Amino acid sequence: MCIAPPSRTKILCSGCFRTDANNLLFSFRAFSVKRILLMAYWRLCTYVFAISLYISDDKMFPMDRQVSDRNILDQFCEEFCEIVEKYCKYIIVSGFLVIASGRTRGTEDIDMIIERIPLDTFVKLCKELDDKGFECMQSPQAENTYEYLLDNTSIRFTRKGEHLPEMEMKFAKDELDLFQLGQRVKLELTGLNVWFGSIAMNIAFKEEYLKSIKDLEDAKYLRLVYKEMVDEDEIKAIKKMIKKIRL
Amino acid sequence: MRASHQDQIERWAEFVRNNPATWKKIHTPFINAIFAKHKEFLERLRKTPHGEEKIKEMFGLQ
Repeated sequence: MCIAPPSRTKILCSGCFRTDANNLLFSFRAFSVKRILLMAYWRLCTYVFAISLYISDDKMFPMDRQVSDRNILDQFCEEFCEIVEKYCKYIIVSGFLVIASGRTRGTEDIDMIIERIPLDTFVKLCKELDDKGFECMQSPQAENTYEYLLDNTSIRFTRKGEHLPEMEMKFAKDELDLFQLGQRVKLELTGLNVWFGSIAMNIAFKEEYLKSIKDLEDAKYLRLVYKEMVDEDEIKAIKKMIKKIRL
Repeated sequence: MRASHQDQIERWAEFVRNNPATWKKIHTPFINAIFAKHKEFLERLRKTPHGEEKIKEMFGLQ
């Protein structure tokens, strides 16, 4: 009787041991080697997926963003300007500059001023524009459209078979245009590799020469967005030039 | 200029200044939508009587 408790303890203990051993044995049988391998494989897949997400977040999303950030006008303008730049100095002015700087309004055309170039250079420019999918609305003959430019009339280019958008191109017609070409800038905020007329020049033209409600709103917008680039003395000086030469 | 519209221009200009990396995300679909709507409209107009003529006249193609 007096050894009962120890023996019971022993039995209990051994019972416990046997129970654990049985459980382990059961567990081992239940989760066969095949299942364990499957679980390990699944875990590995999860890690690989998580790592690929991490990498894509770092490297692929910015690339995706760059592509999707180009709107129809941006793409059209950059492709066109890339060709024109090979043949002459140019600037993009007015509406598209404001839209490329973020203003939420529409436009049908992009205004481009180019330096005067000889006919043979213009023919080569038109040939490359044609090869790259652009067509002139007035005439497919470069010799004809060159006459328009000499008459200070703008010519319009679109992508072949499309009505919009248009690139409206004209020659620099006076010292004011030549001055604009000399002051041309690339604007980081636009994210475009395109030459623009200066901010001061665009504000002055819109406030002093064009003056429609849309142009005055554009000028106000440019003043706000490019606050640190706005030089009132420069704008005043350009306005004086406009009065003297254009008005 | 309408006062409310002035405010909108100012607010948006501030947003563009303060968010140089993100404003295009909002701006791009807006600009693209203008061209998409234009294209859709031309397709509808083309299917109407004299639609093709009207389009040619609109773009000075006659």
